[in-house]
Amino acid sequence: MTRVGRRSEPLPALMAEAALAALADAGVETPDAIVVATMNPEEFVGDGNFASHVATHMGFADVPALRIETATSSGAAAFYAGVAQVAAGLRRTVLVVGGEKMTHLPTPRVSEIIGRSIDPYERRYGATMPALAGLVTRALMTLGGVNAREIAQVAVKNHANGARNPFAHFQQPVSLEEVLDSRMVADPLRLMHCCPISDGAAAVVLNPERGAVRVAGIGHGADTLAVRHRRELTSFVATKAAAREAYAQAGFGPERIDVAELHDAFAPFELMSLEDLGLLPPGKAGRATLDGDTALDGRLPINPSGGLKARGHPLAATGLAQIVECVWQLTGRAAGRQVAGASCALAHSIGGLATNNWVTVLERA
Amino acid sequence: MIETIAASRCPRCDMVVAPPATYCPHHPVAMVPAELAGVGEVVTFTTLHTAPTGFKSPLHIAIVELEGGGRFVCHGADTRGLKIGATVAIEAIDDVYYFSHLGALERARLFWRRTGRAGDRVNAIARSLAKKVWKSRSVGTSA
Repeated sequence: MTRVGRRSEPLPALMAEAALAALADAGVETPDAIVVATMNPEEFVGDGNFASHVATHMGFADVPALRIETATSSGAAAFYAGVAQVAAGLRRTVLVVGGEKMTHLPTPRVSEIIGRSIDPYERRYGATMPALAGLVTRALMTLGGVNAREIAQVAVKNHANGARNPFAHFQQPVSLEEVLDSRMVADPLRLMHCCPISDGAAAVVLNPERGAVRVAGIGHGADTLAVRHRRELTSFVATKAAAREAYAQAGFGPERIDVAELHDAFAPFELMSLEDLGLLPPGKAGRATLDGDTALDGRLPINPSGGLKARGHPLAATGLAQIVECVWQLTGRAAGRQVAGASCALAHSIGGLATNNWVTVLERA
Repeated sequence: MIETIAASRCPRCDMVVAPPATYCPHHPVAMVPAELAGVGEVVTFTTLHTAPTGFKSPLHIAIVELEGGGRFVCHGADTRGLKIGATVAIEAIDDVYYFSHLGALERARLFWRRTGRAGDRVNAIARSLAKKVWKSRSVGTSA
């Protein structure tokens, strides 16, 4: 994968950088097929037919390429499509590459483009992703018993991890006070609860042979596009459904997970996801986070890469960046942030406001 | 006078959505039209300090559970003192729905916005008086 952050290269160049590194790592020159994940290159960079665009740019004009999109979880969805092709025996070696280029646009324009994934009626009322996350966070704090320090600690922990990751957008630690004092974005959500706008790309190579890491299970969960159509606001139905499917395929549950990359686009989402995934019992995520259980040296390290908060969130790259981090953790290649002896890892990706979520369980072979 | 909000109901699962939808979100079944009163309980709310293009900051947004079932997204003049579970009234101003938690100041603000935008002062005054009567009756029920 590429270093995430403010990058000057065009999107195809970033995706080629990630893809060629993954292919070199796998000892493959040309894959049999390519799956491309980009959320909205039409609006972010003005190009369409992006699977062919990227494939041609990196010298694979003759390799069949298709594009997958499920909003902010597109990278995880592309991974699923790649695994499905290999598992079905349709292709042998599949390159999955995801990327997004956003920092060249002004922030309101970026918010507007990301906001396309929100229900049109709710958008007419000014709903942006931070606004919807603010609505969820208010419910979580009032009904879910989560407090401001617990939410802030997620950002503190993930920045501390990002400071150890040379690929991260933010490599500086932050204090609890800095997070608690940062400006209000969507009350009670503050600026330092939110992930940054990032450029970057990530890639993996899949093949049916026994390698260092195997895919134990992939689950896909869905929910209503409109947040107002949901009964439950303090947990995500789509995460729970995806987790059930992934664990059923794996043949084991959350008790086997040693390390996880969760979708902390907004810090409170990490607390919700810990419980939705069954990694912690209901109502315990906030306290466990304050107690350091989810820190790099804790019982269950969460987001060793820095998460979306510190590694950054180049939209369609993110789901794959999480999987890359899991693979590095399982193969002892996460220098500076290695979780000792990790043999089972989980990646969790949220699409839109949790309308299209993915859970991927990986195991050391 | 309480506003009437257009909604729809799923004949299979009874889910109510507002505004009306063609199909139930959970079943491939045509929804039947329904009407809801513009009164309900606040499910959650936020104040957006970086409103998108076309909106003014701060922007108050709430999800309100209407009496009769559907959840509704609306704007508000203010969220100070507002709590989850509070009873609010919803009214349309130029096709945009606003909640108000029935304080005098907020009422006045909505009133002036209405007269300013619509320019139909006579109608606004009449409606405001009618609502005042209803309001004095329902203040005691707000949570």
